[in-house]
Amino acid sequence: MEIKDFLREDRCVLLKSTRKNEVLLELLEILEAQKAVENMEELRKEIFYREQLMSTGIGLSIAVPHVRFEGVAAPIVMAGVSREGISDYASLDEKPIKIVIMIIVAKDCHRDYIRLLSMIMSHLKNEEVRDALVNAASPAQIVSILEEA
Amino acid sequence: MLSELLSRVLPFPLAFHPHSLLLLGVVLFGGTLAGRLFQRFKIPQVIGYIGAGMVLGYSGFRFIDETALANLQPFSSFALGLIGFMIGGELKISTLRKFGRQFMSILLLESLGSFVLVTILTTFVGYVLFGDMVYASALGLVFGAVSSATAPAATTDVLWENKTKGPLTTIVLGIVAMDDGVALVLFALATSIAGNLLGISTGGILHHLLMIGWEIGGSVVLGLGTGFILYRLIRNFKNEDRILAFSISAILLLTGIAVTIGTDMILAAMSMGFFITNFAPRRSKETFKLVEKFTPPIFVLFFVMVGAKINVSSLNLVILALALVFLLARFSGKAAGAWLGARLSRAPATVRRYLPLCLLSQAGVAIGLSIMAGQTFPGEAGNTIMLVITLTTFVVQIAGPVFVKIAVVKAGEAGLNITEDDLILQSSAADICDVNIPVLDEDMSISKVLGIFAQHDNLYYPVVDGEKRLIGIVSIEKLKDTFMAAEFSEFLLVHDIMEPAAYSCGPGTEAVEVSRMFKTLGINSIPMTGPEGKVLGMIEHRKLQQHFTKKIAELTRKADELEHS
Repeated sequence: MEIKDFLREDRCVLLKSTRKNEVLLELLEILEAQKAVENMEELRKEIFYREQLMSTGIGLSIAVPHVRFEGVAAPIVMAGVSREGISDYASLDEKPIKIVIMIIVAKDCHRDYIRLLSMIMSHLKNEEVRDALVNAASPAQIVSILEEA
Repeated sequence: MLSELLSRVLPFPLAFHPHSLLLLGVVLFGGTLAGRLFQRFKIPQVIGYIGAGMVLGYSGFRFIDETALANLQPFSSFALGLIGFMIGGELKISTLRKFGRQFMSILLLESLGSFVLVTILTTFVGYVLFGDMVYASALGLVFGAVSSATAPAATTDVLWENKTKGPLTTIVLGIVAMDDGVALVLFALATSIAGNLLGISTGGILHHLLMIGWEIGGSVVLGLGTGFILYRLIRNFKNEDRILAFSISAILLLTGIAVTIGTDMILAAMSMGFFITNFAPRRSKETFKLVEKFTPPIFVLFFVMVGAKINVSSLNLVILALALVFLLARFSGKAAGAWLGARLSRAPATVRRYLPLCLLSQAGVAIGLSIMAGQTFPGEAGNTIMLVITLTTFVVQIAGPVFVKIAVVKAGEAGLNITEDDLILQSSAADICDVNIPVLDEDMSISKVLGIFAQHDNLYYPVVDGEKRLIGIVSIEKLKDTFMAAEFSEFLLVHDIMEPAAYSCGPGTEAVEVSRMFKTLGINSIPMTGPEGKVLGMIEHRKLQQHFTKKIAELTRKADELEHS
């Protein structure tokens, strides 16, 4: 299993919003437009509930909002990049979040879920990759950077 | 009406009379109901069966009359056959080797103790009542011989009902099964001497001893032979129904042959059970388990009939006085003999103390011997013997099981012969639940969860929300998965790895239901919740099995300790 198996250009975005909630909604709206998930309202609730339990800002300007969700056939990976940074996204190192990777996996795919989280972490450990992502000019570039990472 | 109509239409006679079927139904239903009622008041159910028989029989409504009793007689013999077979199953050669010395000394001394004391005291009372020493001595000898018999049926029923295990149980089973043999020998000697005293020809001692030899020897050979044939037939069977059908039919056949050729059916069935348990061990456990499941209605029928035969109206003061002396002398003789036998053979303390209470019951053999005596000594002597034994049998049938229960409870042997199925049936979720298990909050970090897993040996933990309501379960498998993302694990929460709680049970849920949930849902743990879904604990399948295994091992250890007390 590779991240590129699940990466799609139409699920990568240069973020317009600079506030956490708006960023999350911006990403979810893309999914809604694609009709990728049946019960969008429930997914929204789950994503925000998880953030309420603990912010998914993991440091190094990265956030990984993630849930296991009923009714998702294949894992969904979304990437959003903000050059300005998301000021209110709480993170372990308290640095502003610039890269948001959202992961949604079926409820019973626990292993895929953990593996994807692990892969994201190992890809984004590399500072050059992170910088390249932050400076990406298009969704296509985001995809190619992550594929090559 | 229906039977009349059918008999007109059918070219052959009806195989059964509808009345017999109704009779069977009333006897079984009434007996079971009474037994259950008595059991609720902690009185052995066998007394309830006998009580129901008295209400339905000669002493009550006479619903069960002479014809009915004659019709149901085969069931009575069948019940004795089943009892003999089950007792034989308990007599393992290893047990006999272990307890052999104790068996023999207790058996001889308790039988002879009651024989001697009853003979002396009833002779004395008989002399006071009738003023004839010869007549009184003859009566006394027969009473003495009859007094040595002990009925296995009511005694074993109490032992099985109370799931007993230990040295007292083993000795009681052996004694009650074997002292009928001693009683038969004593009876043969006593009737010969009594016959000579009264000037009645009874065929002489040699004739009687030959008869007894045939009765005992024939029974053993017949039982062992039938056991061998049954073993050859069922040894390759996997189908339980087939094993049950062959076992039951073999017991019926054996009982029938024993009655026909004049051998002892209990001893014959016991020999068959002995053969199966000792020489066919691969098949014996399931065979006895299957037969045991078949026995309850037959036993109910047997004891209801015992009660139905009792007629309380034919008693007078002479009978009452002789009966009272018989009862007191028999109890004292058996108690003293059993105590002495136990002491001499260095039997465990519980056997010395409580065995005397277990040897009271008398039934079929005592009545049978009294009827034989009645036929041997026609007239007043015979009638007196029959009436006294009928009355005393009634008293010990009622009192015997109560004393057996007291003895096994006091000896600490009740409830020690419990299987895992029994434990499940007796338990509820609250009994098997781990209430000290830590509860995980859904926003707890994985590193904290790892700490909890390290400190406790549970493999499944309940997860609660902010209001402490159950929302999920974290398992060792899911936790193990997080090792794949070791770098990310500090960002993971319980919420991320828990499985939603799709099932739970309450404290009152029966353990049978919990066990069924484990099997049908294929799960390994079930959270126990109280009002509003608050978590009270967790039941793990693995721990449940450990709990039962431990409990059974504990009970076995207790039974072993009793042997060395």
